[in-house]
Amino acid sequence: MTTSSSPSTVTIRTYQVGFGDCFLLSFQYSHEKRHMLIDFGTNGTPDGNNKEQLLKIAKDIRQQCGSKLHVVVATHRHKDHIDGFATNGDESSGKIIADCRPDVVIQPWTEDPDAPTNAEETTQTRVVNFTAALTAMQAFAERSLTEAGRLDAFRGERREELAFAGENNLPNKSAVMNLMKMAKTNLYVNAGLPVDLEAVLPGVKVLVLGPPTLKQSADIRKERRSDPDEFWLRQAEFWKASRREDTEGRPLFGNAVEAGTYPLATRWFTERAAVVRGEELLELVRILDKAMNNTSVILLLEFNGKRLLFPGDAQIENWEYALGQQKWASLLGSVNLYKVGHHASRNATPKSLWKLFDNKSASHSPKRLRTVVSTMAGKYGTKTESQVPRETLVTELKATSDYFTTQELTGNVFYHDETM
Amino acid sequence: MSSQDRTEAVSVPTQEMTILAQDPTVKVDGQILTAEARIPAEALGPGPRGFRVFVVDFDASDGVLYAPATIPVRGKAGELVGNPAFHAQNVYAIVMRTLARFEFALGRRVSWSFDGHQIHVAPHAFAEANAFYSKRDRGLFFGYFTDDKRQPVFTCLSHDVVAHETTHSLLDGLRERYTFPSSPDQAAFHEGYADVVALLSIFSLPNVVEQLMDAAAPTREPEFVGTDWLSKDRLRETALFGLGEEVDPRRSALRRSVTLKPDKNLLDQSEFLEPHRRGEVLVAAVMNAFLDIWRARIAEPAGNGQRLLRAKVAEEGRVAADHLLTMVIRALDYAPVTDLLFGDYWAALLTADIEVQPDDSKYHYRDVISASFREYGVDAAPTKGAAGHPRAWEPPDARLDYSKTHYGAMRQDRDEIFRFVWENREGLGLCDEAYTRVQSVRPCLRLSSEGFLLQETVAEYVQILNLMAGDLRRFKIRCPDGMPPETPVTLYGGGALIFSDYGQLKYHVRTRVLNADRQGARLDYLWKSGFFEARETEPRRFSDMHRARMMGGKDLTGKDRYEHDNVF
Repeated sequence: MTTSSSPSTVTIRTYQVGFGDCFLLSFQYSHEKRHMLIDFGTNGTPDGNNKEQLLKIAKDIRQQCGSKLHVVVATHRHKDHIDGFATNGDESSGKIIADCRPDVVIQPWTEDPDAPTNAEETTQTRVVNFTAALTAMQAFAERSLTEAGRLDAFRGERREELAFAGENNLPNKSAVMNLMKMAKTNLYVNAGLPVDLEAVLPGVKVLVLGPPTLKQSADIRKERRSDPDEFWLRQAEFWKASRREDTEGRPLFGNAVEAGTYPLATRWFTERAAVVRGEELLELVRILDKAMNNTSVILLLEFNGKRLLFPGDAQIENWEYALGQQKWASLLGSVNLYKVGHHASRNATPKSLWKLFDNKSASHSPKRLRTVVSTMAGKYGTKTESQVPRETLVTELKATSDYFTTQELTGNVFYHDETM
Repeated sequence: MSSQDRTEAVSVPTQEMTILAQDPTVKVDGQILTAEARIPAEALGPGPRGFRVFVVDFDASDGVLYAPATIPVRGKAGELVGNPAFHAQNVYAIVMRTLARFEFALGRRVSWSFDGHQIHVAPHAFAEANAFYSKRDRGLFFGYFTDDKRQPVFTCLSHDVVAHETTHSLLDGLRERYTFPSSPDQAAFHEGYADVVALLSIFSLPNVVEQLMDAAAPTREPEFVGTDWLSKDRLRETALFGLGEEVDPRRSALRRSVTLKPDKNLLDQSEFLEPHRRGEVLVAAVMNAFLDIWRARIAEPAGNGQRLLRAKVAEEGRVAADHLLTMVIRALDYAPVTDLLFGDYWAALLTADIEVQPDDSKYHYRDVISASFREYGVDAAPTKGAAGHPRAWEPPDARLDYSKTHYGAMRQDRDEIFRFVWENREGLGLCDEAYTRVQSVRPCLRLSSEGFLLQETVAEYVQILNLMAGDLRRFKIRCPDGMPPETPVTLYGGGALIFSDYGQLKYHVRTRVLNADRQGARLDYLWKSGFFEARETEPRRFSDMHRARMMGGKDLTGKDRYEHDNVF
């Protein structure tokens, strides 16, 4: 089959995954369509039926792409971005996607099983320590959920956030393995790495803006400590040390007091200690949640004079490198569609990025910037500083762009199409 | 509680209890180092539960309460390490010992920072390489974890860690505003100060200095120590000057602040704006001064091939550490109530010592300390100097009115102190428009190392001024760039008032609420660090700080980084 050199349009199908991301980009060529799937996961659908919803979406993807995907992008390892790739059970969304035989899977360099040995830009030790830290963080997330189950005194919104973030950071082994095996080619990318998809998506240029490698990060941030290798080793050790898998389920000592018979004088403090632990776990889970977000692939796609920006959940620390590159400023300036980072949280759309977008406009016009966000309120609490979506950001998006949010999808409608 | 539950009251005012003098990983001749700590005697309940400390062995990670321990527990060090009752004893005894040391230095009872008499201590609080003090929860929390050899590690067995956390709680009781965001110095002070107290406390434990000062020597004589092992460099490398073995999973990233090279520009470097690193500068300044004094007292040049009596060398170290620790603690009474800078603390150290030890001609403690602070680039507080010492606080120069107050009442009564402050508001230089409150009045009876008794009364007041950023210009205070004029801003000031035993004001250590330079710098720091953003306000900063240290020294938190110009 012959394909014209460049697609004329693209349709972006934004699926209702609740809190998560799933976008199917269908490029229209003269004689056919070619398809790129960017993320497929949820950490809570509006009706709470996650598995059914993922299955429904997978079937729709299969139908839309005629059982042939060309590119799959998994921006980072969080459940709300890759859970749909899991192959658990007889009929799984992950198997449906794998059966669509994608040619290429794109993931961040941190997912590369050979990352340490490919570490040309920085020391192997640092990469080994860094990836070990990420793995240990996910193991910790698992433990945090077990612990949280015992902390009855830790209640309310913060407990819900702990459960949500802990769940989101669990190791998605099935999804990870599926992503590793489903395509002929796996590309593990970092900021500035040349990616050529001409063979599978002719006429679509791909520029990778993130995540930075450790060396790229260190260069811009000026590591405060003289030895970043040591820093990441300590990180890994910290997370590994905060585990007790050898004694899991058994108390440290044999003199435990039977539950319900605690001396009265101890009861106030035991409740306080449980709350303190809950807060500590929440803070730890926030740290690892942010670390994982910052491994997100940031892709700038260009075809037929149009530019689409998909940054996953990259937060300000990830963006720092890209925004420091003068050569990319004009490209970002002409972005036509922006997938709002990290479900419209405060820290994922830096103002310095937003300012670059030249197509912002107070009035409607064909050229006006389009913004798309996949989100669900209430998962990160109601406090102003942590709310997602962030109200001040949404106000700005609505004021100067054609804005769409999956919160607008109601009833049985489970996707939204946007063609450009 | 039944009488059987109580341990017998002892008839003497102190008692001895076995503690670990160093982390179990520090061994001398293959032995874990224990010591008999002398602490106030009391009739203890199970826990132990005493008049100031209540050990509640609750493990939140496993959701388990361990049976309250009955102490004292005795035995061989190797057995004690695995015994939870000994863990409870270890924390109890070190907390009590640290508290008693503060009370001795200050010459009065010292309260915890919270409303209550007994601090809770959880020796196995959770599975994590962390330990911290929480005012809100009236407690000290010590974590445990597994090391890289899969062995359990208990932070409650580390003398350093327990003394460090206890010091946080005591310091917070004495100067509650030091936990408020204010300046890089203030953020660093709590950490550095707690390290200094933990390090100097070790020296007073019997037989520990003797064991540790040349532990690395290939051969050691029981009675003598070679001067080769008493050089500054060699002593710095001993376990006496290292902290944190027990809270580092690999036991290798030891905190040894004393080895920080003196540099007058250190505090201006970005690395040292971080609270942990900056706190290490304070530790380095004090501990290097201590080393100089110790070595001066030994009076024998290092490396001259001589052998010195081991007990004598250790005793000189003990005496020097004891003197310095008293200064370090007592200085808090002479330190500002709000917005502390390292230079203020330097002046407070000198002033505290001058008061009880006017003659410093033998070992020149004050000169050595001043030289060390200067070498590390600490800016001296702007003082004219008391008793001929250029950096100490000066007595107030205003004529004050004592006619409307009664000194007898002023020794006990906050309202009487407030009346004194109010009647003398002009002479004391108070801001008329600010809200003023006397926080505390504390009569003290201090003992000098020569047995001389000094009676003083220490009172503290704070001033609070609420205004809008737009009002700052009126007071010539610089508004941080980009701060909207309608931003609510609170300025703090206050002072420590030190009265003599005749009721005369000897010192007024104050930070003015309208000090344009200090307040401008403070607001700028707070604005840049995101303080003015709505955040979780619960001051659990000790857990954050200590965790960051465990995780590699960076201020890494799960909170979003806030840059005023760059986030929505």
